[in-house]
Amino acid sequence: MPSSGSVAGPVAALINEFSKLPTVGPKTAARLVFYLLNRPRHEAQALAEAILAVKDRVRFCSICFSLTENDPCPICDDDRRDARIVCVVAEAKDVYAVERSGAFKGRYHVLGGLISPMDGIGPAQLRVKELVERIGREDPHEVILATNPNAEGEATALYLSRLIGPLGVVVSRLAYGLPIGGDLDYADEITLAKALEGRTTL
Amino acid sequence: MQLTRLALSGFRNYAELEIEPEPGLNVFVGANAQGKSNLLEAIAMLGTGKSFRTSKDVDTIRYGADAAVIGGEARVRAGSVNLACTVAKSHAGTRKTYTLNGSGVRYSNFLGKLRVVTFVPADLHLAGGPPSLRRAFLNVALSQEEPRYYRELVRYRKALQQKNALLRTATTIDPELLAIYDRELVDAGTQIMLARHRFVEAIAEAGRAAHARFSHGAERLDAGYESNIVFERPDPHAIAAAFEARLQHVAESERARKAAVAGPHRDDLSLALDGHSLAAYGSQGQQRTAVLALKVAEYVVLRERSLEAPLLLLDDVLSELDEERAGAFLAGVGDYEQAFVTATQMPGTLPQRARTYVVRNAHVDTGVAAC
Repeated sequence: MPSSGSVAGPVAALINEFSKLPTVGPKTAARLVFYLLNRPRHEAQALAEAILAVKDRVRFCSICFSLTENDPCPICDDDRRDARIVCVVAEAKDVYAVERSGAFKGRYHVLGGLISPMDGIGPAQLRVKELVERIGREDPHEVILATNPNAEGEATALYLSRLIGPLGVVVSRLAYGLPIGGDLDYADEITLAKALEGRTTL
Repeated sequence: MQLTRLALSGFRNYAELEIEPEPGLNVFVGANAQGKSNLLEAIAMLGTGKSFRTSKDVDTIRYGADAAVIGGEARVRAGSVNLACTVAKSHAGTRKTYTLNGSGVRYSNFLGKLRVVTFVPADLHLAGGPPSLRRAFLNVALSQEEPRYYRELVRYRKALQQKNALLRTATTIDPELLAIYDRELVDAGTQIMLARHRFVEAIAEAGRAAHARFSHGAERLDAGYESNIVFERPDPHAIAAAFEARLQHVAESERARKAAVAGPHRDDLSLALDGHSLAAYGSQGQQRTAVLALKVAEYVVLRERSLEAPLLLLDDVLSELDEERAGAFLAGVGDYEQAFVTATQMPGTLPQRARTYVVRNAHVDTGVAAC
């Protein structure tokens, strides 16, 4: 990595900015900067404008709290989607992940994170109250808890199920299991045990 | 099990090193600060993935190097395994990666493929030091033995951190959320307590026998599992029920003290000589003899349980202990498949099947077999 004294000021400044991004270290940051230096000006401009547009024009959907340019978001605004099933996810990026599957035709609710007191995140910091209000308002038939299968995701799902279960809605959780195209040999013991627990009849 | 090859690169004071240890006793002889203990530390890291000397992984990287790589080949009952542990500098500090037979694996799949019992001078505080040392002793042994124990330990620690954070920072504590972390603590904690209870029972017996030999039957060593959760029977249901009841009982005081007070994170391994606590009343000599017996017991129990002898790593113990006790230690261990020992001087008496290596300034010369 070049030290800040050996490269031009703007170069060092951009390397510094890039290296603040997640998964980008100083070496990758330097590579990105030198790549951009070799590209035509309009490409750099397009990148800069795209970054600003994200900040200026994207906001939270007032119904599901996903990211959107228009409020309500295209998913909440789509009458063909089933409003009786709500899929609860941690982050807006998870909406895109579930959408990629093409298997879900209901609506979403984005919590904005997962419960983790050690990171200062409790139910009050998330859109939990909004979820409860929404269930009262829209009276969905089923709520699918689609949080990550890690400690925080589990705790959050458990917490939500206790909270919204008494509201008379079916609460379900994504299944745990084996990756498609995978090999039993390579599955770790916990995944395999969970897959056995959650087995289905054929 | 047996380590058949050890290869170091950028580790501590070693730029590059490759040795092929022998079965039986391997003795690293050299003056201080030449790199003897580093060899034992490296071998231990192939087993546990962690250094027994430092919690700062960066310390294991050689000055001027970007990464420390410890590689090894071992013969185990199931065949042979190829292990590597790499500590690499990264912009966020260090990154540790593990490989098993050439493919990258998670720590939990690396841990315990090569099992080690280490005995280093710091272990001599085991009897007189704080309970955390004795919990660490139980955790290191049990994590190597059972992958499940390590998983439950990680799960328990995570839930404990979350619970403590909730108790410490929340102005009004959500009882539903607290209940979720308590549930997790009970689930994981029950498995931890059960494993510790059984293990302590086993080492108490083996330790008593070893201690009787060391003290020529003059004193009796008692080791017991001491938990703030008192359960009637060592079965999962009884433990979980006792843990739950205890959590209810202390709920108010946990809120007042803003900390989780009940659970195996407060466990201890009690050691007593003829009924008197070693930590409180034992002389330094008595504490040392007890630790010696405990380490022999750890080795014997791990060997019995897995039907395979772990590697025995003795760092500087021959010089810390007089030769009689060191000899008694090796005799107490009995049939070891392979042991590694460091010493500043060529030991006067060596068992057969011993190979000595002269360690000088990060170079290791394979000496001639001593016998």
